[in-house]
Amino acid sequence: MMKKDIYVLSAKQISVQQPLCEDWMTQPVDYQTPFNRSIDPSFKDYISPIEARRMGMILKRAIATSKEAIKASGLDTVDAIITGTGYGCIENTEFFLEALSKDGEQMLSPTYFMQSTHNTISSLVAIQTKNHGYNVTYAHKGISFDSALQDAVLQMRLGKINSALVGGHDELTPTFYNILKKGGMMGQDDEMCGEAAVSVVLGTKSDNCLCKLVNFKMLYKPSMDKLKAIAADFKADYILTGISGNHKGDEAYLKETKELFGDAKLLKYKHIFGESFTSSGIGVYVAAQCLKAGKIPAHLFVNPQEATDKKPSNILIFNHSDGNNYSLTLLEA
Amino acid sequence: MTNPILITGCGVVSAIGNNKAETLDALLNNRSGVGELVYLKTEHKEFPVGEVKMSDEEMRKLMNIRDNEITTRTALMGMIALDEALKDAKITPEMIPNIGFISGTTVGGMDMSEQFYLDYVNNEKHKEYIAVHDCGSCSEMTAEHFGRFAFVTTLSTACSSAANAIILGANMIRCGEADIVVVGGSECITKFHLNGFNSLMILDTKPCRPFDATRAGLNLGEGAAYLVLETEESAIKRGVRAQAILTGYGNACDAFHQTASSPDGEGAYRAMQEALKLADIQPDKIDYINAHGTGTPNNDLSESQAVKRLFGENVPPMSSTKPFTGHTTSASGSIEAVFCILALQNGFLPVNLNWSQPMEDGIVPVHQSVKKDLKHVLCNAFGFGGNDSSLLISKPEL
Repeated sequence: MMKKDIYVLSAKQISVQQPLCEDWMTQPVDYQTPFNRSIDPSFKDYISPIEARRMGMILKRAIATSKEAIKASGLDTVDAIITGTGYGCIENTEFFLEALSKDGEQMLSPTYFMQSTHNTISSLVAIQTKNHGYNVTYAHKGISFDSALQDAVLQMRLGKINSALVGGHDELTPTFYNILKKGGMMGQDDEMCGEAAVSVVLGTKSDNCLCKLVNFKMLYKPSMDKLKAIAADFKADYILTGISGNHKGDEAYLKETKELFGDAKLLKYKHIFGESFTSSGIGVYVAAQCLKAGKIPAHLFVNPQEATDKKPSNILIFNHSDGNNYSLTLLEA
Repeated sequence: MTNPILITGCGVVSAIGNNKAETLDALLNNRSGVGELVYLKTEHKEFPVGEVKMSDEEMRKLMNIRDNEITTRTALMGMIALDEALKDAKITPEMIPNIGFISGTTVGGMDMSEQFYLDYVNNEKHKEYIAVHDCGSCSEMTAEHFGRFAFVTTLSTACSSAANAIILGANMIRCGEADIVVVGGSECITKFHLNGFNSLMILDTKPCRPFDATRAGLNLGEGAAYLVLETEESAIKRGVRAQAILTGYGNACDAFHQTASSPDGEGAYRAMQEALKLADIQPDKIDYINAHGTGTPNNDLSESQAVKRLFGENVPPMSSTKPFTGHTTSASGSIEAVFCILALQNGFLPVNLNWSQPMEDGIVPVHQSVKKDLKHVLCNAFGFGGNDSSLLISKPEL
């Protein structure tokens, strides 16, 4: 199978950090509370007021980041729109479930239902960008964005597409934050939880790109031996980990990266972006922006004394979502 | 495609049967599984539905689930279908760590969440079900019953989820990521989407009549089906035969509206065209189309337009099997793919039940039992939001 050159052309985000820009590199917003919602930009440049009125936040953010990412990529259009969402449209699901539980099964709102299905995000972006290309949504917790990325990479390798808009979108309401915390799925120990909307455009030409996507792999419950064998193809100077304040998860990250990648310098991003099911998408965004800028901000280093002004030539995004689902994404300057 | 993708096994559970044998018998004898609501606890008893004829308890017993293990209905149906598929393809437990699992679902564990939602919010009861609400956890619950698969992921594109799972599996094999991938989907009926579809006013209080002039909406169904996709090399090494070949597939977006299909069926047209192109097969070689055919005024008109645009004057025999099973939403792509495989293997055209009056500007479906030798069939699955997919399944060359 011929390996095609794949580039990250652009990456845009709306999250708990300043939206649609890279201010977090020099002036990250500092959070002391365990649960924070995104800082939203004005959406008027992306969505008409009439449409926006009936649109949930997750959809508005998806449209804004998608349009910005496509614009920044230099492409007129993309061949595919592939989206990942861990929990889908929580706000509308919540409205519908509340109404169902409290008011019963009469007089329910079609709008809430229509906007609650996971794939409504990806399809709305297609409607807004008039895109008839391949369109698919993945919903698999912390590897939803990764699954979407994998699909794009596979199809580019097969030559079926030359570009793709890969999105990762999750939102979190206070009610669902409490539910997910109760269920042990997030918000454990010192973990800060946030929301994330990320849109990344991949292409086959390197002009004005952010970086190159060199390799990608996803695994389910791999043994350490299996991981070691895979890690040989993912050697990097810097490893962007999902260290988040969840003690068990963080310990595992430290142990695994040491065993797999030896003395590679460890980085983290969830201390400023928070944990969300889509945070691996934020990870790819962060790494891509650092490679483009030619600098890794000191505050991303797990060991502050390792911080350096040296231009990074590669970064590996290492994600072990819930300890079972692993993904490795290798980016190169 | 140069390297064929073999289908070496499959399994299915739906309103018309708990396995392939029962399913085939129902299809050949025009026996629908749509009827009165029995298992789902809902006020809306006025809607005919295609429920799987087993309670959660009965399914747990069938799959030997331990008392202290929690399950959801979608995962249980998934396990039953996956069990049959793995046995059908002669896959043993030692092989599982080298096999991928890709499942499509939209409701996930919603059957439990909708019962326990107020508890999730207000107290500590039933909190063990919180972790199994989402789609991915449902796939993992299904997969874990059989071992530790090499990779597991979940598609959620509403009614084309399972079809898209099949497409991803095929692409993974073509990229050399795996030799064997099990693909498909599962979905149980929930109050959430029964009420959701009702709020959109697309449910019929009578048995659905796809492509009929009097059609007035869909009946919901539930079920699961999985296919084992495999390279030729792997099948030969294992000594297993292909039941069918996945010769083509296509995925396109209608990009029209979040629930309605475009009048000219653009997404559907492109998806079918792509499937034919990938298979390098001309339209006149298609022997049968298993339509999405939900029985809504909108879908059946849109799909008819798309088919007429692609096939011109020569539309092949076409039918919707949703009057048999109801609309099994996320699982429909794989359930109906299994029906196509059964049709290829047994040489018959599934009947479009409940049809009597031709609709304006529509296709006339297969409405009488016909024995026919089939070589290439198309299987359509169109999801809300215009996620349109089409699979081209062929009889293996002997």
